[in-house]
Parts: sequence; structure tokens; C-alpha cells
Amino acid sequence: MKVNSKYSFGFIILAGLFLLFLPFVTPYKALASQMLVFAIFALGYDIAFGYTGLLSFGHAAFFGLGAYGTGLTLIHLSIPAPLAISMGVIISLLIAFPIGYLSIRRRGIYFAMVTLAFAQMIYFIAFKWRSLTGGDDGLHGVPRPPLGFIDLRSEVVLYYFILFFFLLSIVLGIRIIRSPFGKTLECLRENEDRARSIGYNPTRYKLISFVISASFAGLAGGLYTLLQNFVPLFSLGLDISGDVVLMTLIGGMGTLYGPIMGAMGLVYLKDLLSSYTNIWPLFLGLLFVVSILTFRKGVFKELKERFLKF
Amino acid sequence: MKKGSVVGFVLMASLFWLVCPANAADTVKVGVISVLSGPLATIGNGEAWSAEMAVEDFGTVLGKKIELIKRDHAYNPGVANEKAKELYEKEKVDMIVACPNSAAALAVAQQALIHKKPFFSTSAGTTDLIGKQCNRYIIKWNYNDYMLATTVGLWGAEHLGKKWYTITSDYAWGHDLLKHFTAALKKKGGIHVGNDMVALQTADYSPYILKAMKADPDVLVLLNVGPDTVNSTKAAVQYGLKKKAKIVHALLFEPNIRGAGPEVFADDYVAGSWYWKVDNPGAKEYADKYLKKHGERPHFMAAAVYSATWQYLEAVKRAGTTDAEAVIKALEGHTFRDMFANPGYIRPEDHMQVAKAYLLRAKRPEEIKEKDDYFEIVGTLPAEEAFGKPGQFGCEMKGF
Amino acid sequence: MLRGGSEALTPAFVSFLGMGFMDLHFIFIQLFNGLILGSIYVLLSLGLTVIFGTLGVVNFAHGALYMLGAYTAYSIVTLLNLHFLIALLLCPVIVGIIGILLEKFLISKLYKLPHFYNLLLTFGIMFFIQDAIKIIYGPEGEPFNIPEFLGGAVNLGFMVYPKYRLCIILVTGFLASGVWLFIVKTKLGAIIRAGTDDSEIADALGIDIARIFTLVFGMGAALAGLAGVLAAPIQDVQPLMGMNFLVETFVVVIVGGMGSIGGSILAGLIIGELVTLGIIFWPPMSTTLIYVFMAVVLIIRPRGLMGRVAFFE
Repeated sequence: MKVNSKYSFGFIILAGLFLLFLPFVTPYKALASQMLVFAIFALGYDIAFGYTGLLSFGHAAFFGLGAYGTGLTLIHLSIPAPLAISMGVIISLLIAFPIGYLSIRRRGIYFAMVTLAFAQMIYFIAFKWRSLTGGDDGLHGVPRPPLGFIDLRSEVVLYYFILFFFLLSIVLGIRIIRSPFGKTLECLRENEDRARSIGYNPTRYKLISFVISASFAGLAGGLYTLLQNFVPLFSLGLDISGDVVLMTLIGGMGTLYGPIMGAMGLVYLKDLLSSYTNIWPLFLGLLFVVSILTFRKGVFKELKERFLKF
Repeated sequence: MKKGSVVGFVLMASLFWLVCPANAADTVKVGVISVLSGPLATIGNGEAWSAEMAVEDFGTVLGKKIELIKRDHAYNPGVANEKAKELYEKEKVDMIVACPNSAAALAVAQQALIHKKPFFSTSAGTTDLIGKQCNRYIIKWNYNDYMLATTVGLWGAEHLGKKWYTITSDYAWGHDLLKHFTAALKKKGGIHVGNDMVALQTADYSPYILKAMKADPDVLVLLNVGPDTVNSTKAAVQYGLKKKAKIVHALLFEPNIRGAGPEVFADDYVAGSWYWKVDNPGAKEYADKYLKKHGERPHFMAAAVYSATWQYLEAVKRAGTTDAEAVIKALEGHTFRDMFANPGYIRPEDHMQVAKAYLLRAKRPEEIKEKDDYFEIVGTLPAEEAFGKPGQFGCEMKGF
Repeated sequence: MLRGGSEALTPAFVSFLGMGFMDLHFIFIQLFNGLILGSIYVLLSLGLTVIFGTLGVVNFAHGALYMLGAYTAYSIVTLLNLHFLIALLLCPVIVGIIGILLEKFLISKLYKLPHFYNLLLTFGIMFFIQDAIKIIYGPEGEPFNIPEFLGGAVNLGFMVYPKYRLCIILVTGFLASGVWLFIVKTKLGAIIRAGTDDSEIADALGIDIARIFTLVFGMGAALAGLAGVLAAPIQDVQPLMGMNFLVETFVVVIVGGMGSIGGSILAGLIIGELVTLGIIFWPPMSTTLIYVFMAVVLIIRPRGLMGRVAFFE
């Protein structure tokens, strides 16, 4: 994502206005917050998938761990929300290390399946450990403690709170991608053997990329918990893992903005469609099939490359 | 190119404006959340249809039109939570009704407390809704797991046999059912010879049935619903367990019997709060109208939704407002007679709507004389016995 | 008093000890049941592994094809009132043709792109097929009973076992050997193997790779459809029935080694037994067992039990 022309400046202003007024434009405010939450999730996922080439099918594990971590912290300890969210991020991060380490030894679809296996294991542990997680009930009664004078119980206020983290994530994401570290990731994605021959240790870079991506997922999960006042078991489930892959792919992987817009678009679309019809998975399926066949690189990436030349 | 990006963004933004909620100060909005997709849709569709019928039949309330908004939660608590938020916040519904799946109902109940609007939980069984997780915005309608266990459990332990084997669906509702059914069994001095926890939507029950047969029970108790009920019963028939033991269900609906065939369920027992042939005022009209519109007879979940919706609107009339507090006060301690409960009473202590319960036996194929006449009413249990003491599950009302 | 469903290991040990004291009969029945589940896994994973091995496509729509097999069987037997054997022969062909159409008109367009494009495409196709069936037949599912001529049980001496289930094992065994023989012993099989090993060279040598790909996808789909027909009488025929098997089938394929037929058969049977025995001895963890098993296999022997090293990416 290059920011070097006056057109792109206009783009940023427009995007800024859009984000600023989003909650008043979406059908209900919580939807705007949800769009941002998944945008953060997809952004982090793109770092691992788009930039490093690590297709993970188990990222819901980190989303869910962040969600439960934050939720449990908020219920059992009275600490301010940002601290609770950090707890969620830390938990995801910590668990990402062993999972990443064990999974990265394999590549491609094997890597994907190992991540899936781990995610399913975590899911079942959460399912069975009802005394901690509420099991299938989910974790109920997560409060939204006020942050000084800021009352997070208002959906609008919460949106701007989440927006802050969203902007933070974007800044972090861009810095990571633009750094030498980020360039190395892309190099690894293109040709791992060549990277190794130059002297880079692929395992270390891949692991760090994976853990970073998991941390973003944990952040998204923590914010999601705050939004829902509740941690549903499905936050660890296959659907969430699948969703983030779809959002990233459809938006355009390896671009950062692509997955963000893909995520926001998909969340919005799902809500819109499910309000109008019971057979919305049909339309969604059709949409995917069509968009994959026509927009090969991802809807937003292709659109950008065709219409917006900056 | 700059024009392109501006146009692009304007287009995208305007897409959002398309779905702006209309100003609706002069309609009363009723929200229905149920399972409208997947194998349990037979339950959910019936609930949605009944809500529609109730709204249609009631007409107007306090001079305002009544609007019904439906949402599918696909039997998933997380989705139910989101839909409840959407209904209360975006659609500004005045109440939500239905919501099968105990975990989903608990989530919606929380949202009801947060948004301070009533939730008529007709379709979930967990006694937590009138116990640990109760709040003043929940009106628990229809049934709960204690009532099911007591109605069929006590009778079953006396008349069908003392050695029970349970097969339980492994989620919140299954656990709650197991708790109540084993308590009922214990009261009658029965023996619990074994239990299996089975994942939801398991296709092949043969290993569990075989385990059950080893334990040689008098009664096989199936604590599940929908496709799990069908599959477990089919397996019991296939392996011959049905010849040796009686089968008791937690929930069994006409669509299940219709789908699998009555031979599968013949002589099984289940409790219910209603049956379409019951002689309540307006029951026959409701069942006939439902048959005409949808080609089948209503199950008791559907009937409960009709009743709950109707009684809500009646309460709005009595209270003279849609204000949640006033309406709920108009319901607490209220006795009513309608097609569903004759009479029904809403306990102020825990907001449980109680009425007499029915013990049903699934008919053999040769006994079925008309469409959907799958059950015989073998007995009834008065409300006080079926539902126990008010507040016995430890409800401490939160809310106003 | 036996209590299942607790997290502790104690019930597992208790029931295990209990097993030791009672009859072989019960154990044998459960082992056979494991073979049933294993057979379904084998049929499904054969198709999946052959598709992945040759085309490099991770076919997420495989579960939907399985479901289509069951629904076409339902339509033929219940709606058209024809004999089950006709369904058994016809349904795989029908599903195979659907598979061929999918490959020709959709999947083949994306061969030049990285693999996950087709993955996503098949994902979308899965949703589409499932919802289409939901709309046409309704979401509740359809009843499907064991065909009359295969009902009842058979006395095998050491135990009595349902006839129909025995047939599933026999048919699967027959078919699995058939597929193996076809791939390994026939000329067409050799061509397919060539295409699998290196499709570009095979293409350069004059083999019509596009046709081979279409054929292989059709074959895989047909196998999935057959699994659906066989499973229909003992399972709930409903639009989402494939979803339950999808992830587990992937696990079987990975464990067996992607692209390996022998691996799929072996892994399918092992995992079928694992799940079934898990249900007896350690019910709470029976499903997690599969994932643990897969993770262990992958970490120790990354190419799967019988996979070839070439299939890494």
C-alpha cells in the first residue's frame, strides 16, 4: 500500500470520514463495531497468509482465546477494559508460540490441517471445561466497565473505542509490512529455499509472523467479547476460521486494505442478506463462486488495480 | 481517476442508506428468533408461523398496527445474541418471543435485561432461566426441563420400569435434562444404570444403543431433540432394544414422527404442555387454521408461541402502553385462558407460566385415524405438581 | 452406577475393566461398527485423495457430493419407487456426472492459480449445493429406511450382526480394491498416475491432461455419491449431512497421505475404529482423539502414513 500521491491523500480523507460516520450509516451501531472487529482480525490474518504464505485454518483458536481471555478477566477481575483486552492478546500470543512452532514444520495444506487440528482441540477443551468457559452456553454476563469518564455501555462510544484499536492496528500493520522484517516475509512467501540460501532462517520468521497474526486475532476476539457482552463457543469454531480466510481471499490477500474491506463487506453483507432471506447461504455461495471466477486476486485488489491508479 | 474513487465511495456509502430503519412510532413490533434453517427448522418454522397467525388474528392493539419481524439463529447461541441485539436496537422491537436452544435463550435473556425489553422464552428448557439466570424481563412460557422430567419421569419410573439408561445430547440443555430426569428417577427409587453423552447431530447411534443394551434397562430415556431423537430411536429399533425396553423422550414432535414414520416411535412416551386435540377454548380453530395454511398440525412449541404472543398483546392492552415495566407488571400473577393453557398462570416469583401438563404416548400406525394424530393423551399432571414450587430454582430477580 | 460424560479418566478405566470381564461379542460388534464408520471414511477419502493427488484441488464440496448421493438415492427409491439396487448403481453415476460438470465449467478455470483459489471455489460450491437442496427438498431431512431385502441380521457364529451393515463393509472392500487395482494395474490408471506425478511432462508427452483431470474428478465425486447412497439408510438424510464428515474426511486423507490410495484405506479404517472405540472407552474425548491422532502423525511422519514425499505443497 503506497501512500505517495495527492490522490491517495484524498482517499485517506474519504476513508477517514467513512469510518467516522459509519455507526450512523449502518442499520445498527453494533454492526459497525462488528465490521471493525473482523477487519482487525483479517488484517492480522493477512500478515501470516498474504505476506508470509501461511494458510491457517485454525485462526479461530486465537480469536476465541482472546475472546475468552478478555471475557474471563472482565468477569473475575475488576480492571479496565484495555487491560482486559491486553490479557486476551497475551493469552493468544502465548498459545500461538507452541502451536506455531509445531505447525510450521509442515507446509502448505499440511500446515493448514495441523492448525485446524489444534483449533478443534482447543474448541473441544473449551466445550468440555464448562465450569470455566460455560461450555456450550458460552460465557455470559461480560461487563463493560467504564473507562474513567467514558461509558462503554453506549454502543456509539464503544464503536469509537474499537475504532481507536482499529487505527492502531492499521498503523502497526503498515509498519510491520514496510519494515525489513516484512520484506523478508514476502521473500519467504515467494521462494523459501532461496531465502534460506541467502541466510534467513525461515522457521524463525514464519513463527514470528504467525504469532503476530495470532495477536491481532486475539485483539479482535477481545473487542468482540466487549461488543457482545458474551463469549459464544463458536468464536473458537470452524466457521470463524473459515470466515477470516474468505474475507482475506475475497478482499485480496497481501494488501492489508483488501482483507480489511473484505471483512467489513462480508460482515455487512451477511447481516443484510440474513435479514431478507432464509436462503442467504445460497447467495453467499453464489457470490463466492462468481467473485472467485471473475476477481481472481480478490475483489478490492482487482478493483483498485483497475480503477484507482495510485 | 480521482472521480472514480469518489464515485466508488459514494456508491458504497449510499448502499448503506438503503437499509435505514423506517420511523415506526405507531406500530407495535414483535420479534421472533428461532431456528429457521437446518434439520431443526421444523420446530422453528412452526413457531414463526404461529407468531404470524397470532399477530394477524389479534389485529391491532391500542389503535396501533402490529408488525412481526423474524430472525434465524440457526440453533446457535452466538448468532442468537447478535440477532437479539439487532432486533432490540435496530428494529426496535417491543418484545422477542421463542428462541429454542437453552444457551441461545440465556444469551437473548441477557440482551433483554440490557435493553430493558421483555423476552418470552417459549422454547428453551433450562431451569436456569427461572433460576440462577433469571431476570425480570424474562417471561418463561410453555415448559421447562423440570416439568418434562417430573411429568414423564415420575410416571415412567412407576409404570414402565425402574432401571433407566439415558442417552443425552452433550450441550447445555442435555445436561439440564439429565439433572432433572435423574432427580425424578431417584424420587421413585429407580436405578440409573448408565448414561452416554453424545455430540449434537450425531448420525450413527449404534455404539450407544449397543452399550445401552448391555446395561439391560427397563427404560431407555432419550434426552435429545430433532435429528438426534430420530437417529437414536431408529438405532434402538434396528438393534432390537425397543423390544426389550420402553422408550421415553425428552421432546418428540409431530414432524419427527411424520418424517421417520410412526412405526419407529410407536408406544414411546413423552411429556408435553399441549397437543393439538386438547379441548381448550380456541384450540380447535387454531389447529384447523394452521392445518389449512401449512398442511400440517401444529406442535406444542408452535402453540406456545401463539399463546405467548397473544398474551403479550393482551397485556399491552391491559397496561395501556408498550412500556416494558408496565406490561411485565400486568403479566405477573395473571391468570388467563386461551387455546394453549386453560387456565394458565404466570408466577410472579420466577415468571414461569404454568399450566397442567400432559403425558403422551405415541400411537402405533394402525391407531392413527387422521392426519398428524400421532399421540394419545394418557394422563395429566396438575400445574403445581408438574412445575414444582415457585422460585425453587433460586431465582433472585434482577431488573426493576 | 456408571456415569458417562465426566472429564476424569476414572470412568474410562472402570468401563475398560468392565469390558475385560464381559463377552467378546460386544467388542466384536463395536469393532464391526468401527468398520462401518471406517468404510464411509474410506469411500469419501478415496475420492478426496485421488482428486487432490491428481488435480491438486482440495475439494471442500466433497461432503456436499456425498449428500447429493444420499438425496438422489432418496429420490430414486422413495419418490420414483424403484429398487434400492438401481439407486446403488445409478446414483454414483449421477453424482459423478455432476462432478464432471463442476470440473469442466468451474474448477478447471482456476488451475493456473494457487491451490487455495480452488479451495475457496469448492467452499462456495458446497454452500450453494447445500442450500439448493434445502430449498428443493426442505431443511428437515427425509426418511430413508434399510431396504427390505437387506434387512434383518446375519448369524456369523461368534455374533449376530445386521445384514445391511455387513453389506456396507463388503461393498466398500470390493470397491476399494477395485479402485486400487484400477490405479495400479490398468493403463488408464498408469496415465492417471503419470498425470499425478508431473502433469506438465505428461501433457508434453501427449496425454490429454484436461480429460484426465475431468475423469478423476468425476470418479472422486462418484465415490462420494456412492458413500452417500450406502450411508442413507443408517444416517439422517438431511442437507447438512456432509458437513459432519467433511473435516474428518480431510483428517483421514492427511493421515493417510494425500494422494495415497492405500493410505486412505488404512487411515479410514483406523480412524473409524478410533472414533467408535473412543465412544466406548472415553466418550467425552472421542472426537478430539481424531485431531490428536492427526497432529501426532503429522509431527512424527509429516507425509502421512503412506503418502509420497512429493505431495508437500
